[in-house]
Amino acid sequence: MKCASGIEARQVDELFINIDPIQAGGRLTAEAMKAVIAYGDGYSVCDNCRKPNRLDYIAKPPIAEFHKDVAKWLNMDAVRTVPGARRGFQAVAQTYVKKGDPVLVTSLSHYTEFLAIEEAGGIAREIPANDQKLITPDAAAAKIEAVKRELGKAPVLAFIDHVDYQYGNLHDFAAIAKVAHQYDIPVVYNGAYTVGILPVDGKALGADFVVGSGHKSMAAPAPSGILAVTAEREKEVFRTTAIVGDVTNRKFGIKEPEMMGCTLMGVTLVGMMASFPHVRQRTKHFDRELANHAVVMDALLSIEGTKCLSEFPRKHTMTRVDTIASFDRIAESHKKRGYFLQSALEERGVTGVIPGATKVWKFNTYGTTHKQALHLAKAFVEIARENGLAVKG
Amino acid sequence: MSKRAVDMTFQAIYTLTDIRILLRETAPSHEFDIHQEAQAVRLLENLERQVQSLKQEILK
Repeated sequence: MKCASGIEARQVDELFINIDPIQAGGRLTAEAMKAVIAYGDGYSVCDNCRKPNRLDYIAKPPIAEFHKDVAKWLNMDAVRTVPGARRGFQAVAQTYVKKGDPVLVTSLSHYTEFLAIEEAGGIAREIPANDQKLITPDAAAAKIEAVKRELGKAPVLAFIDHVDYQYGNLHDFAAIAKVAHQYDIPVVYNGAYTVGILPVDGKALGADFVVGSGHKSMAAPAPSGILAVTAEREKEVFRTTAIVGDVTNRKFGIKEPEMMGCTLMGVTLVGMMASFPHVRQRTKHFDRELANHAVVMDALLSIEGTKCLSEFPRKHTMTRVDTIASFDRIAESHKKRGYFLQSALEERGVTGVIPGATKVWKFNTYGTTHKQALHLAKAFVEIARENGLAVKG
Repeated sequence: MSKRAVDMTFQAIYTLTDIRILLRETAPSHEFDIHQEAQAVRLLENLERQVQSLKQEILK
């Protein structure tokens, strides 16, 4: 079935349980789907844009109210919507990082944090993860001291992922931020896998900036996200334009250079807004998500040779597993080789594992119902048994 | 044509969207429990009413 010439209607989430690690938290709510239908046209949210002509001032649809609600929800002082978390990193880096400035990231940081630093002319320095793939406050302190020795100055900014994309591990952000603040280093909270998934209190965590991803974790269309800041940082990151045209003498009101004026002007913003009431509620029930994830993890770990590479017990629903001694053993002699796992899962109505992956791979059960979690668990165990792997219990 | 015809068009799409969500929540088997079955019946009845109203508006 096609939705337009040459474009298949995407029915992945209607036909399968989708455990793609980056797609789980971005699936739209019914409300967002409905809003998308109504606001699909280009500048659709601009019908009632009045002076001072800026996105976050629009009252109908209630965009201004949404900005205030998100700030309150995250316990921060000001919020802007951005086209993806990466644009939030970029706005902060452009504000604080000058050529040659060191900036802290971690050995598990997302590449877009590196690119934001690079674009600003900064030098990235990584806090190494320990053997458990966790970033510790002690390691942060040691790295800051090492940077001072190496470059003669402390980092000017730190990007710390509360949950990293590689292992889905939950790092002690608050303790790391406390260390960074002892050196007067402002800290960006990368909440791409937490904002919209579990409760986030920016001030309690000690974040100067909170970045969230709409399409990854707030049930919103891509590219969307939020950048929230403390009052202290608001006038810096969200400073208004001062430029004047030399021929026309034009000025540009209260547009913000780091936001390049208005940001999300249609379906992305309205989708995020429409999902917000549901998203706000769902973060209060993350324990249910972890319980469903545990059902699947128990099944996977019951398969002889399967290992969990993420911290365990799990504190997030995205997990990295090692199946070199289980499913990959089957792949060695299976006629479909490494594609047997994906194929066997799809026969059972499951998708989202990287095609060909049987060694180390990630999955995310966020948003599955309990019945779907049981189905997933059964699918993995069945595939193991059918292929001669031992299963405990 | 009327505002009512436009409203009914959106209403019908929204009802179909609710059915789509039901399909997502029950993938891959689409076996409904008793509550989901009741919900499906209600949605389909609403859809029939909405399409009927739309017919009346458009074909009058």
